[in-house]
Amino acid sequence: MREKFSGIWRIVAVVCLLIPAAVLAEEGVTDSEIHIGQWGPQTGPAAAWGSVARGTDAYFKMINAQGGIHGRKLIHHMFDDGYNPAKTKAGVKELQEGTGMFAWVSGVGTSPGMAVKEYLMERKIPWVGPSAGSLQWITPPQKYLFAVYPLYAMEARTLVRHAVKQMGLQRVAVAYQNDEYGKNGLRGAQEELQKHGLALVAEVPVEVKDTDMKPHVMKLRKSNADMVLLWTSVSHAVRIVGVSKAMKFAPQFMSTSTCSDFPLMMHISKGLWEGVICATFGELPDSQKALLQTYRKDAYEAFAAKDERWGLFFYAGIIFAEPLVEAIKRCGPELTREKLVQELEGLQDFRGIGPTVSYKPFDINDPMSRQGTQETMLVQCLADGKAKNLTGWIVMSE
Amino acid sequence: MDLKQHYYEDVSLFSSATIVFWFTALALFLALFPLVVKNYYIYLANYIAINIIIVLGLNLLVGFTGQISLGHAGFVAIGAYGTIILMTKVHLPFLPALLAAALIAALFGFLLGLPALRLEGPYLSIATLGFGLTITQIIGRMDLFGGREGLHAPALTIGAWHLDTDVDFYYLLIPLTGLLTLAARNLTRTQVGRAFIAIRDADIAAETMGVNLLYYKTLAFSVSAFYAGIGGGMYAFVLRFVEPEIFTLMMSIMFLAMVVVGGLGSIMGAIAGATLLSWLDLQLRNILDIPYLGDWLTALSQSYFSITGVSNIQFIVFGMIMILIMLFEPLGIYGIWLRTKIYWRTWPF
Repeated sequence: MREKFSGIWRIVAVVCLLIPAAVLAEEGVTDSEIHIGQWGPQTGPAAAWGSVARGTDAYFKMINAQGGIHGRKLIHHMFDDGYNPAKTKAGVKELQEGTGMFAWVSGVGTSPGMAVKEYLMERKIPWVGPSAGSLQWITPPQKYLFAVYPLYAMEARTLVRHAVKQMGLQRVAVAYQNDEYGKNGLRGAQEELQKHGLALVAEVPVEVKDTDMKPHVMKLRKSNADMVLLWTSVSHAVRIVGVSKAMKFAPQFMSTSTCSDFPLMMHISKGLWEGVICATFGELPDSQKALLQTYRKDAYEAFAAKDERWGLFFYAGIIFAEPLVEAIKRCGPELTREKLVQELEGLQDFRGIGPTVSYKPFDINDPMSRQGTQETMLVQCLADGKAKNLTGWIVMSE
Repeated sequence: MDLKQHYYEDVSLFSSATIVFWFTALALFLALFPLVVKNYYIYLANYIAINIIIVLGLNLLVGFTGQISLGHAGFVAIGAYGTIILMTKVHLPFLPALLAAALIAALFGFLLGLPALRLEGPYLSIATLGFGLTITQIIGRMDLFGGREGLHAPALTIGAWHLDTDVDFYYLLIPLTGLLTLAARNLTRTQVGRAFIAIRDADIAAETMGVNLLYYKTLAFSVSAFYAGIGGGMYAFVLRFVEPEIFTLMMSIMFLAMVVVGGLGSIMGAIAGATLLSWLDLQLRNILDIPYLGDWLTALSQSYFSITGVSNIQFIVFGMIMILIMLFEPLGIYGIWLRTKIYWRTWPF
């Protein structure tokens, strides 16, 4: 009996000793675990982007297999929100208030992200690499929100500059999705042309629910453009290229990073995507870069599901998470959110398998203090769905 | 079931002391609920309450009047956008803005009710479907509504009360839901409610008895849209951000499913349907965390499904629950409740 009691007292004593440690520890961090949350549509209209979250998952499993970070394993909590903001908010709250996340990574889509931005920022929870190139992440910049995705306006400028200066194309037209995404592309193109003393020969808006692209292509053809910049959804871009071919209108097509997964584009367009030039934010799938090869072997081949495809949308999940992982590593064993923010701000020209990432100390008046990427790479689609690297990584300057 | 011997028994709010007791218990539970649970469950409760409001309105239209609407997400959108715009652009306080937005939705409901005078069944569903899709198209193309970038909800205050948290919002939303439930229940017991039911059962017979079809059909659409407008206004503040892509056809279909699964033509059914389906919608993804069953489903998905199979299992289960309820009880959850009640009445014989 006495022994039993002394056993209980020992437990009580240990618990009492542990309480201060537990109180001091950061939410979502224990001695052996770091909890990181992520949403990604596995169902619904944006399910094609679901591979981003699965990419991050394989990446974290790879890190854990190598022993984790400072002895802690990364526990990845990913959930399917079906691209429904009400569900995103429910899932984020459930994980944050139930399990307690240390930080959030990636998260596909502007409107799911916008539904939880305020919630995360009010609670000072770091969120790295939202998977959507929206200006809303950095206007105004938020102390705990670190954007990785390149800005669309800058991508458009780089493409137009390449067309005008390297290819000598002067008659530029834009087909853009009539929303923030498309208008950013349009604005970039207009600004760059202005610098060269040129103007767009046609601006053709495309609505999300438009299905017939003939009127749009008619306008583009009438403008006699020799370069058409496509800032639309994947399916619209493919349709415009298809209809143009049928109408014997053959300008140089260029497009955004959203349409730069060439094997996928070639598959959907049945080969018509050949020759299109795109900006991209990741190394090419067949690149011989050592780090990419490591990821392919240790993350993709070891942990991805058997019918997962090794493509940009898969390892985009790695690109968006790399800065977070790097900053956690730099924090050392004493991991807190404030320290993480400091280390993220300290990232200068950090390169993983995407463009270089740099942040600055937080400045509410400087959106670029939270915009990590200012590089892009221009690639051209070849007949077999492979990509020809046209420029290597180049800085998208203003 | 209950023999009523006096008119006042028919119009009384509570038919027996037992019911008064249970309602008091429910009210107490709802009042104390936020004090004992995590914030997430309050968000869940808010989400469910909003769906209850919308489904109550839709049930008045579908269950009581026998009309159909596949465009209710459109009315919800009008309520959500209307409330935000009236607050930010016209600088109305929250409650008048909410009410005005709901009235605008009701006006659109009236307009949509006009073609319903000539259309029935599948034709009416296509007309309402078109309405729902058109509304989001219009909103998406106008700068006033923020286009596809959407709008942010302003800070919410009522007098000196700042509603910053889900708990604050809960204490606004739950009484409002109660009030609207009461209104719906009372409406069904008036001349209007009886006219609705007469139209549902046989509109020609109703007309020969002197029920004005033009008036009552458009009224049913207006009232239903009003409820959806209130629900939409509240939805905007639960999400704090709205954009056109939120108000999809899928949303309209979900509302209709809630009405049917809950039980057509029953106030309690609407509440039960909205609660069950909203809860399943948000919680079924946790099915994979259940020991054994989750592992088994994951293994099943890995062997026979594509990569996203696992996540789609929640939809399969969701669909199966709906089919089973409809198969075994066409009156929905309300029917199951009725049968349970009758069974226990004569228990143990």
